[in-house]
Amino acid sequence: MCGIIGYTGPKAAKDILLNALKRLEYRGYDSAGIAVINDELNVFKDKGDIDHLINITPDFKGTQGIGHTRWATHGKPIKNNSHPFKGCKGKFAIVHNGIIDNFNELKDELMKEGHIFSSETDTEVIVHLLENYYEDNLEDAMKKVVKRLRGSYAIVAITTFEKDKVVGARMISPLIVGVGHNENFIASDVPAVLEYTNKMIYLLDEEIVAITSKGVEIQTFDGDPVERDWQKVDMTLDGAEKGGYEHFMLKEIFEQPKAIHNTLLGEVLNFDSYANSNHISNIKIIACGTSYHAGFVGKHIIENLAKIPVTVELASEYRFLADAGERPLVIAISQSGETLDTMTAVRLARRRGLRTMSIVNIVGSTLTRETDETFYTRADLEIGVAATKTYITQIIAMYILGIRFGRANGSLSPDRARRMINRLRDLPKQVKTILNNADNIKRIAEKIADSQSMFFLGRNINYPVALEGALKMKEISYIHAEGYPGGELKHGPLALITEKTPVIAVAVKDYTYEKMLGNIGEVAARGSPVVGIGNQSDKELKRYVDEVIPIPDVHYLFTPVLTSVVMQLLSYYVADARNCEIDKPRHLAKSVTVE
Amino acid sequence: MKAVILAAGEGTRLRPFTNSEPKGMLPISNRPILEYVIKALAQNKIRDIVIVVGYHKERIMSYFEDGKDFDVKISYIVQKRRVGKIGTAYALSMAKNKIKDDFILLPGDNLIDAQTVSDAIKGNQKHKVVIVQSDIPSKYGVVELSSNVVRNIIEKPEEEISNLISTGIYKLPVSIFDDIEKVMKDGRYDMTSVLQSILAKKKIIAVTTKGTWQDIVYPWDIINVNSMALNNNESHTSGRIERNVTLKGSVSIGKGTIIRSGAYIVGPTKIGEGCEIGPNVTIYPSTSIGNNVRIGPNSVIEHSVIMSDVRIGATCHISNSVIGDGVEIGPQFCSTSRSGNIEMDNELHKVEHIGALIGERTMIGDQVSVIGGTIIGSNCDISSQKIISKEIPDNSSVI
Repeated sequence: MCGIIGYTGPKAAKDILLNALKRLEYRGYDSAGIAVINDELNVFKDKGDIDHLINITPDFKGTQGIGHTRWATHGKPIKNNSHPFKGCKGKFAIVHNGIIDNFNELKDELMKEGHIFSSETDTEVIVHLLENYYEDNLEDAMKKVVKRLRGSYAIVAITTFEKDKVVGARMISPLIVGVGHNENFIASDVPAVLEYTNKMIYLLDEEIVAITSKGVEIQTFDGDPVERDWQKVDMTLDGAEKGGYEHFMLKEIFEQPKAIHNTLLGEVLNFDSYANSNHISNIKIIACGTSYHAGFVGKHIIENLAKIPVTVELASEYRFLADAGERPLVIAISQSGETLDTMTAVRLARRRGLRTMSIVNIVGSTLTRETDETFYTRADLEIGVAATKTYITQIIAMYILGIRFGRANGSLSPDRARRMINRLRDLPKQVKTILNNADNIKRIAEKIADSQSMFFLGRNINYPVALEGALKMKEISYIHAEGYPGGELKHGPLALITEKTPVIAVAVKDYTYEKMLGNIGEVAARGSPVVGIGNQSDKELKRYVDEVIPIPDVHYLFTPVLTSVVMQLLSYYVADARNCEIDKPRHLAKSVTVE
Repeated sequence: MKAVILAAGEGTRLRPFTNSEPKGMLPISNRPILEYVIKALAQNKIRDIVIVVGYHKERIMSYFEDGKDFDVKISYIVQKRRVGKIGTAYALSMAKNKIKDDFILLPGDNLIDAQTVSDAIKGNQKHKVVIVQSDIPSKYGVVELSSNVVRNIIEKPEEEISNLISTGIYKLPVSIFDDIEKVMKDGRYDMTSVLQSILAKKKIIAVTTKGTWQDIVYPWDIINVNSMALNNNESHTSGRIERNVTLKGSVSIGKGTIIRSGAYIVGPTKIGEGCEIGPNVTIYPSTSIGNNVRIGPNSVIEHSVIMSDVRIGATCHISNSVIGDGVEIGPQFCSTSRSGNIEMDNELHKVEHIGALIGERTMIGDQVSVIGGTIIGSNCDISSQKIISKEIPDNSSVI
C-alpha cells in the first residue's frame, strides 16, 4: 500500500506534494512525510495523517521533491520509520512502496561498510545503496540499486547533485507518470496528480523513469530505452470533495444510482448484438474482500443466466491451489486493478495458460494490462476506504456478463434477456427508493449500535450479501460481525446467539423465503433482536421480526443490489452512531498492494 | 465582484417535484435551474460565488462541488433554520463574513441569462434592483418608481399598485448587512422589508432587463420555463439512431441512447443519456427527456418534461405534462391537455393547456387517463383503467 509522489517543475513543491498526498491518503495514513530540494535537502515527516502533516510542516522553499504516506508493514508507525529517508550524508532522499524481501542481508552488508541506519524499515537500505552506487547520474545509480533488491517496490528518489530531476523505479508495486506543462509527476496512482494533468504514462515492471520539468525518459532495468506515449484519463476528481455529506462513504452510497446508470450506459447499446459465441465451459472468479463478495453474487447470476458452472476463489488462496486440470475462464475483480493478491493469482492463471478477464474501476491500471479483456465499472473515483459504489457496479458487471454469456451459449432466450435488461435499467430508480428511506435505516441502526456482536443471515444469492454486510460492519464500526447462510446457524453458530446479539436477516420473496422465516424463528426464540430486510409488499415479515427494512419488489436475481445498499446504510449509520472514523477505518487502506 | 445565490428554500408550492430535490435542482432542459444562474454569472466573469444552501443541501453541493467544472469557485453556507415566511434577508445575512465589497444577490431558482446579470451589475450605483413586468404582480415584491428610483417596494400587495416587480436580483454594497441586522431586530426577515427600510436614505436604482427572467412558482410553470430554456437547444446526436428516424429542428440526443426506427422527433427537444425511444414514437416540441428513460412504441409526447428513470409503455399520449423521476406508466395512458382552474394554496389558478403533473416514483397501471391539470403525488400506486380527475396526495393507492 503506501502512496508515493514525486514532483519537479516551476511551482512550490511543498504544496503540490502535500496536496497529492491528501489524494493518496486512502492508500494508508499511519505516518507521512515530504522531502524538498532547495540547494539543501529538507525532510519533514511525522506519525499521523496528512492533515496533521499539513499543519506542522514548516515552509520549505524548492520546486523539486518527493512525498510519502505510509501503511506500515516493516516497522511500527512512528516518526523514525516514516518516509522519506535520507542517506548518511544528507544528499539523497527516497520514498518506497512495497516490501524489500532481502533487506536484512543488505542492511548487514551496508552497516559493515559504515552506513548508519535510523529506522527499523526495509526501505532504508535503498537510500544507502543509492549513496554507494552514485557516480554522476541518478538513473544509472538506480539501475545498480534495483539489481540488488528482491521483492516488490515502487521507488522515487532525488539528490542534491542533480537539480530538476526525480527518478522512479517499478517492480510489481504501481507507479505512474503524470505529464504536465513544464512540470512532471511520478505517483502511485492517477488521482494523486489528476488535479494537475490528465496525461498519464503507466510504468511497467522493471522500468526506471527520470523526469525533469522538460521531459520524461523511461528505460528498462537493463538500460534499454522505452518509447511510450501518454494516455488521456477521463476520470474526474468529482469524488474528491464530500459534497455536503458527512463522509465520503455516505456520498458514495448516494452516488450509486448514477454509478449504475453509467456502468450500464456503455453496455445497453451492445445488448442488441450479443451473438459472439465463445465457448466457456466453466468460470473461476478471483478476488479479495468486498470484490470477492461481488464475485460470489456473480456466481449465482451467471449460473442462473448462462448455465455455466462458476467457482469463486479468494485471490490470496487461489495462488496456492493445485492446478486441477480444468480450463476455466478466469475473471479477476479488483476496484483499483492494483490489488497484489489478485494480480499474483492472475499471473499464476496465465502461467497455467488460462484465458483471463478483469473487472476494474481504474482505467489503465496494472490488472487491465495483464488480462485478455477488461470490463470497466464506471463508478468514478471512490475515496471512502469501505467500498460501496464500486462493489455495486461490480455486481452490475456480473449481470451484464451473465446476459452476454447466456446469449452467447444460447441458454438465455432473447425475450428473457430483454426482460433482464429492462430490470437492470430499473435499478437506479429502485436504489433511489432505498436512499430516500435512509432515515428509517438510521433509526434502526441507532437501536443496535451499542452491540458487541452481530449476525447477518441470508440464503442463496443473498448469502454473499450477508457476508458483505458483516464485512462492512466490521470494517467501519469495529463491531464483531459474522455472515452466515440461514441454514448453517443450527450447525454451530446458534450457540453464540443471545438477546444481546442483533441479527440482520435478508428475507426477500424467493424460494428461500419460508426457510428463512424458519431460521429467523430460531434466533428470535433465543431473544435476539431481529432486523428483517424484505419486500415492500410483504406484510407477513413484520410478524416474525422486530424491525423491517423494505426494499422495492424486484425479481429475486436483482435483490442483492438492493439488499446490499440497505447493508451499506445500516453499517454506515451504526459506525456514525459510534463516532468511528468512517472514511479511514483503523489499520485499513483502500488499494492493497501488499500480499 | 462576488455573487451570493440563495438556494436554501424548500419550494413547497412546487410539490411533489420538490419532495426530494431542492427547487434549484429542478431539471430545466435537463440541467438544474441553478446551473443557469451560475452560467450567467460565469459569462459575466463573476467567478467567486457563495451559495446559501439548506433543504437537501447535499444534492446541490454534490452536483456543483467547488465549481471547477462550471468554471467558477463556489463556497457554501449552510442555513440551518428557517425564519419567517420569507427569509431571504436572513439567508443573505449568513454570508456576511464572506462579503467584503459590492456584490450581486440572486435567487437560485429563476431562469436567467448573462444579459440579466450584466444589466444588474453595470454602472456605479451602489443599490440596484432588477425589475420586470409581471402578469401576476401580487405574488411578488411590487415596485413603485419615480423615474428609475425606487420609491416604494411592497411584498405581495393586495391592492393593484403596478405591474413592475422585483426579480430578487440585486446589486448591493456591504453596508446592507447592517441594514439587515436592524430590520431583523423588528422581526422581519425578507429583502423587500430591508430595501423598504433604507429607500428613504439611500438611492435604489431599478433596472429593467432585456435578458431572460422566468420564475417557477407552481408545478405547471416547469413546462413553460423548460420550453423557454429549450429555445437555446442545439442539435447534437450521440448514441444510436436506427433507420427511418426523422429528426426536425434542434434535437439533442445524449450518449448511449437508442432511437428506434420510425420515430418522428421535432425540436426543440432534448433527450438525455441511456434512453430508449421505441419504434414510431412521436415527440413534439418543446420536450425534455432525462436520462435512462424508456418510451414504448407508438407513444406521443408533446410539450412535456419527462425526468430521469421514467418508463412509459406503448401507445401513450402525454401532452403538456410533467412526469417526475422514476415514474412508471403502463400502456395506453392518456393525459391530454386542457385549460382550466387548478386549486392550490386555497386559491384557484387559471392555467392554459395543462396535462398531468405526476410526482416521482409513482406507478401507473394500464389504460389510465388523467384529466388535464391534475396533480398526482409521489410514490402513488394507481391501478389499471382508472380515470384520475382529482388531486392524489403522496403515497396513496388508487384501487
